[in-house]
Amino acid sequence: MEAGALPLHDLPDHGDHHGPPEANRSSRVDPQVLGMLLFIISEVMVFGAFFTAYFFIRVVNGDAWPAQGDELPKLVAGFNTAILLSSSLTMHWTVVAAKANNRFAMKAGIFTTFLLGLSFLFIQVNEYVHIGFAPSSSAQASIFYGLTGLHGAHVFIGLLLLFIVMVRVFRGHFTPEHHDGIEVPGIYWHFVDIMWVVVYTTVYIL
Amino acid sequence: MSAARVLRAPGFPRAGLGILIAVGFSYGITTLVRALYGWGPTIDGEAVTTVALIAGPFGFLIGLGAFDYWFRWARGAPTIPEDHSGHGARTWKDYFRVNTDHKVIGIQYTVTSFFFLLVGGLMAMLLRAELAEPGMQFVNANAYNGLFSVHASVLIFLFIIPVFAGLANYVLPLMIGAPDMAFPRLNALSFWMLPVAGTLFLLSFFAPGGSFSTGWTAYAPLSVNAPLGQTFFTVGVQFAGASSIATALNFLVTIITMRAPGMSFFRMPLLVWANFSTSLLVVIATPFIAASQFFVLLDRALGFNFFYAPKGGDVLMYQHVFWFYSHPAVYIMMLPGFGIISEILAVKARKPIFGYRMMAFSLLAIVVLGFTVWAHHMFVSGMQSWIRVPMMITTAVIAVPTGIKIFSWLATLWKGVLHLDTPMLFALGFLTMFTLGGISGVMLAMIPFTIHVSDTYFIVAHIHYVLFGGSLFTIFAGVYYWFPKMTGRMFDERLGKWHFWTTFIAFNCTFAPMHLIGIEGMPRRVADYSQQYAGWNLFISCASFVVGLSTLIFVYNMVKSWRGGMKAPANPWRAMTLEWQVSSPPPIFNFDTIPTVVGGPYEYGVPGAVHGVFKGAEVKSTAEPAEAGTAPAGD
Repeated sequence: MEAGALPLHDLPDHGDHHGPPEANRSSRVDPQVLGMLLFIISEVMVFGAFFTAYFFIRVVNGDAWPAQGDELPKLVAGFNTAILLSSSLTMHWTVVAAKANNRFAMKAGIFTTFLLGLSFLFIQVNEYVHIGFAPSSSAQASIFYGLTGLHGAHVFIGLLLLFIVMVRVFRGHFTPEHHDGIEVPGIYWHFVDIMWVVVYTTVYIL
Repeated sequence: MSAARVLRAPGFPRAGLGILIAVGFSYGITTLVRALYGWGPTIDGEAVTTVALIAGPFGFLIGLGAFDYWFRWARGAPTIPEDHSGHGARTWKDYFRVNTDHKVIGIQYTVTSFFFLLVGGLMAMLLRAELAEPGMQFVNANAYNGLFSVHASVLIFLFIIPVFAGLANYVLPLMIGAPDMAFPRLNALSFWMLPVAGTLFLLSFFAPGGSFSTGWTAYAPLSVNAPLGQTFFTVGVQFAGASSIATALNFLVTIITMRAPGMSFFRMPLLVWANFSTSLLVVIATPFIAASQFFVLLDRALGFNFFYAPKGGDVLMYQHVFWFYSHPAVYIMMLPGFGIISEILAVKARKPIFGYRMMAFSLLAIVVLGFTVWAHHMFVSGMQSWIRVPMMITTAVIAVPTGIKIFSWLATLWKGVLHLDTPMLFALGFLTMFTLGGISGVMLAMIPFTIHVSDTYFIVAHIHYVLFGGSLFTIFAGVYYWFPKMTGRMFDERLGKWHFWTTFIAFNCTFAPMHLIGIEGMPRRVADYSQQYAGWNLFISCASFVVGLSTLIFVYNMVKSWRGGMKAPANPWRAMTLEWQVSSPPPIFNFDTIPTVVGGPYEYGVPGAVHGVFKGAEVKSTAEPAEAGTAPAGD
C-alpha cells in the first residue's frame, strides 16, 4: 500500500537532498491499522449521534414505533443481516488466504464478499421501494431512513473499497508480507457489519 | 504548454475545470431526478445550489490533485515511486499546490487561518461600527445577523481550530523526532479542505436572502427554515469538520507510532501531550456536529422531519447533539494553547516546568470531563430540569484540572529569571486574561446566575475572554515563539512589544465593560439597543478599533520580518526541545539521523541535563553550559 517502501536508486538525482531518514517505530501497532481504528471511533460517534436522534424521537417523546400504520419487514431484514454477517466470514477468509499466499482463495473470498455486500445493498434499496412510507411521513420514518440510510452509505463506501481490493487481488498485488491493502479495508468491512447488527436490533427488533 | 496539457496536470486550472464539471453535474442530476419524480419546477435553483455546494468542493480537490495518488492506487495502476518531489517548498508557488511536507503544510495552515482571522476581524469592526450608537447606522438587522454569524463561524472553524493544527503540524513531528507526519497525503488533503470551507462561508453573502444568520450555533428549527445562505454553513462545516478529524487522526498515529527512540510518553514535550489530548477530543466529538448538520441538511433538502414538531420531531435534540460536540470544542480551541504556554513559560523562565506529570494528567482529565458538561449551554432551553444540577456540578469540577494547570504555570514562574520578550508577554497576558475568563466561566456554571445573564453581553464578554484573551493570545505567543524556526528570520522585537501592549490594553477596554452592560441586561445578537447602554457601547467600539489597528502592527511585523528580517540562529531561545536542535528553517527531511532522547524536555537550569542526542554530531548544546552560572538553581 505504501509507495515509500519502493526502491529509490532509479530516481533522478536532485543533488541537494536524499530521502528522509527512516522513522523510529515507537509502537508495535501498524500505523495503517491504528489510523483505521481511530477512523472507526469517529464513525461510531456519527452513528452515536443518529442513535441520539432515535433516542429522543422514540424514547424521550414516547411516540409509537414505527409510526401508526407503518410496518417494518423484520424477516426480510433479518435475512439481509445473515447475508451481511456471512460476508464478514468470507472477508476474514480472504485475509487468511492472503497470509497463506493462496491466490485462488483470495480471489474467491474477495469476490464472494463483494457479491454478498452488493446483494445486501440491493435488498435494502428494494425494501425502501416497497416499505410504504417516505422520510417526510413522520419523525419516526425520518430516523428510520436516517439510520438505515447512513448505514447503507457505509456499505456503499465499503463496497467501493472492496472493489478496489478486488482489482488489486486479481492483478496479484499482495504478498503474504504486504497485505495491509486487504486487511485495513477488511477491518472497515467488519465494522460495517457489526454496526448493522446494532442498527437492526434497535430499529427493527426492539 | 498547450491548454490541454495545463488542464491535465494537477493545479488550479484543472481545479477550476473540476468545479465547472461538478456544477454541470449538479445541474444535470437535480433536473433529471426532479423530472423523474415529477416535482415542479423541474429546474430548481435552490436544489442545484445545494448539490453543487457538495459536489463543487470535490471537483476542486480532485482537480487540484489531492486525490491523484489514491486514484492511481484504486485503479490498480503501479504507483509512481515516491521521489519526494511533493516535498519541501523551493519557491512561493510551491505553497499553492498539494504538498506533502508537514513544514509546508504547517505554513499553509497558519497563513490561511491568519487570512481568515483578518476577515473575521474585519466583520467584528463592522459590527462594532453598527453598535457604536443606538439605532441603525450602516447595515440592516438581517445583514447584522449575517455578519455576527459569519464572524463567529469563520473565527472558530477557520481560525482558532486550524491555526493550532497548523502550528502543531510544523513543530510536532520535529519535537518527537519524526521525519514527517504518519500520513502525508492525508495531511495535504486536510489542509486543502480548509480554504474550501472558508470559501463556502464567505460565498454565502452572495446567496439570495443574504448569508446564514442563525449564529454559529445554527439552532433548529430556525436553521431549517432560513434562506439558502444557511446551506453554505451546513455544508461548509462538514468540510471543516472532516479536515479536523483527518488531522487529529494523523496526529494521534504520528505521536503513537513515530516517536524518537527513548522518547517515552512522559518525556514528550507538553505541546505534544496537548495535541494528543485535543486530537482525542476531535476524533470523538467532531462527528456529532457533522451529524447535527446532516440532520439540518436532510430536513432542508429532502423533507425529513427531525426537527418538525407536528410530525414528532424534536428541536431540543439538535441542541443536545450540537453541544455534545461544541462543548468539547471549546477545549479543542484551548488545549493546544495550554501546550504552547507550557513550552514558552519553561524556556523563558529558565526553569523546569512545575508538575510535569500533573500537567499531562490534567489534560486527560479535561478530555474526559469535557464530555460531561454539554447541557450547561442549555439551562434556559426548556430541557428536563433534572439534568441541570448534575451539569452544574460537573462544570464546576472541570475548573479543577484547569486550575491545576494555572497554578503549575505560576509555580514554574516562581523565582525564575523571566525573559520578558514578546512570546513571554503574550504568555503572561494569556495567564491573566484566561484566568479572568475562567472565573466568569465558573460564575456561568451557576444556574441562577446563568438564567439572569443568559443571552446578554456577559456571555459575549466571557467567550471573548477565553477565546481572544485565552486562545488568541496563546496563538500570538506561539507564532512569535516559532517564527524564527518556521521562517529562518527573527521578528522585530520592538514592534512585537508594541503589538502586545496595544492589544492587551485595547482588548480589556473592549471586553471588560461588556460584563457590566451584560449584567444590566443588554441582549446580545441584536443590532439595536436601548439608550441606557449608549455610553459604554461607544467606548467599546472605539477600543475595538484599536484592537483592529494593533493587529495591523502584527501583520506588518510578520510580513516585513519574513521578507527581510535578521537571519535566525538555530536556537535563539536556548530551548531544549528537539525542534530547536536543527537549523532554522529545518532541513527538508528534518533530521539526517533520528536523534535519541535521553531525558526530559524541560530540564532548564539543571547542570548537565540533556534531552536529545544526535548521533555523529557533537552533542548539540541542550543544557546551557555558559548559562549555568547565571541561571538560578531551580529549587
